[in-house]
Amino acid sequence: MTAATALIADDEPLLRERLRAHLARLWPELEIVAEARNGREAIELFETHLPRIAFLDVHMPGLNGIDAARAIARRAELVFVTAHENYAVQAFEHGAIDYVIKPFEEARLADSVTRLKSRLAAPQPLSADFETVLDRLAGELKARAGAEGRKYLQWIRASVAASVRLIPVEQIAFLRSDEKYTLVVWEGGEALIRTPIRELVEQLDPDTFAQIHRSVIVNLRQVAQIDRGFNDTAEVRLKNRREVLPVSRSFLHVFRQM
Amino acid sequence: MPAAPGGAIVRRMTSTSASAPVLRPALQEIVGALTWRRTTVAAGLAVLVAALLNPVFTIPFWVLLGRTVFIAVLLLIAFAAAGTWHPRRIPRWLAQVLAVVIAAPIATLLAYMPSIDGNLTNLLSSEGRVMGFVYITTTVLMIAPLLALGALYRERDAQARAALLGFALERSTLEKEALDSRLKLLQAQIEPHFLFNTLANVQALVESGSPQAAPVLKSLIAYLRAAMPRLHAGASTLGNEIALVRSYLELMQMRMPDRLAFAVDVPADIAAREFLPMSVLTLVENAVRHGIDPSENGGRIDISARREADGSIRVIVADTGAGMNPSALPGTGLTNLESRLRGFFGAAARLELHEARPHGLSAEIVFPAQAPSDAPTAPPGARP
Repeated sequence: MTAATALIADDEPLLRERLRAHLARLWPELEIVAEARNGREAIELFETHLPRIAFLDVHMPGLNGIDAARAIARRAELVFVTAHENYAVQAFEHGAIDYVIKPFEEARLADSVTRLKSRLAAPQPLSADFETVLDRLAGELKARAGAEGRKYLQWIRASVAASVRLIPVEQIAFLRSDEKYTLVVWEGGEALIRTPIRELVEQLDPDTFAQIHRSVIVNLRQVAQIDRGFNDTAEVRLKNRREVLPVSRSFLHVFRQM
Repeated sequence: MPAAPGGAIVRRMTSTSASAPVLRPALQEIVGALTWRRTTVAAGLAVLVAALLNPVFTIPFWVLLGRTVFIAVLLLIAFAAAGTWHPRRIPRWLAQVLAVVIAAPIATLLAYMPSIDGNLTNLLSSEGRVMGFVYITTTVLMIAPLLALGALYRERDAQARAALLGFALERSTLEKEALDSRLKLLQAQIEPHFLFNTLANVQALVESGSPQAAPVLKSLIAYLRAAMPRLHAGASTLGNEIALVRSYLELMQMRMPDRLAFAVDVPADIAAREFLPMSVLTLVENAVRHGIDPSENGGRIDISARREADGSIRVIVADTGAGMNPSALPGTGLTNLESRLRGFFGAAARLELHEARPHGLSAEIVFPAQAPSDAPTAPPGARP
């Protein structure tokens, strides 16, 4: 029988040490061949050492534990280590995937060790929907990180004086094209950005922002009043501001009764 | 002749709803401006003018009345139309008064059309008609502009009241926001994920007999005590807030010693100031969660405070982490913070987010130097 080897992946060093210490007591023959600090390292070290077991923390920077598990797939016995990620625990139970909740009791880890030993002695196939469960979890983790899945701009990046400001879009009163640039006017001041109006109108939430002129986008929440002018045009007055914005004929429909 | 408005011209969008304010077609708008009140006053004045002029005129009273009513209606329409289609360069009130002045002789002339068969020479050849025309035009010119101005004055009054209502509504919305943010603060301040991971680390220290265990537990207790929901979380000092932030950062540094470094540089005189509790902590937690934690290499967090040239005070939480994704939602913590800051320090307080080079974020609280008690504690109702 080949030696029992394992990889530990956790971004928190004290927790790697604790797991290693408890494993040493419960399973002295188990050899920890590598320790990884993130998902990327876990995958690299797995490829180098090809251990038979991988203990993976779910929450890690860069690539997380689920990403690492998808790369390792069925080439090792997996045990996830997680702190209070209920959604993950549910998924693991559903997929019959082994897991330990941090902070763990030694008795709980001992159960996992028993299962791992029997699996190494007589390899059993993983549940059929193993990949599906992991794919779904990976998607959920990404959504929770908030990096993806958001359709519209929440911040506008603009140079103000010597610094680059992040302006929350809800504070913007209007945007107006100014030759090569776009003028952003918000509660805290004005700034020029390079993104043209036609691109911004696609990136901003249409429920809040509307183009009212070839060169103007207005935040509808900041509109105070609309005055009709000659020849199917109108003017928009804003709350707490002096500027009057033109509404051209082709955009008048924005303010028509819906 | 125009009378007082029924407020139909004033369409002020006072709600904060995102739906576009409605712009009605022009004709409908003019008809809307012809309120019952205006029409009644115009008709009443037409009768009065006809009665006053009757002794001077030889024609039957009802013919004279017909003319004055006709003129009154035309002037009212001119007034309403000018309100809807005034040229951009001319203020609306001037356009409306001018419209009435210009329309007066034209309307009078039109009123005479039936009796002169549309032929001007018939009018000019009869001295009585010329005199009648002059009488009516003069009377109308004397009364109409005054009435137009009166109507506009009332309209402005109504507009001012609408604006006041708008401000009151906005104010109450802001107050509600501030209350909501306080409630949110009371709920779920301590994230279970943070708590259990930290406890797992403490457990590791205790089991290995590390001398680090005791100070780490002390930090955890300090953090929990401050972060525990409290009903009477009033003012604190910046110094207290910084102490809390230190506890939090020490815990995080125990958890990710290779990825997190931090420094605090707050002058003593600024640290003694009254400060909004849980505000710097919100920024630091945000820096850890969105800046340091997602980054494999981690980064630094620098907390500092300084007095600006204009006398305001700036508290800065700068990290060198991953930075903010432009489509990432501003966590509730950050959105709440801005309204909480205004509630505590007054309308001039604000939160600025600056991007750091080469990566990272600098979140800065700016507030006026005078004590919070001097500043209006209510949210800004009537910002200029």
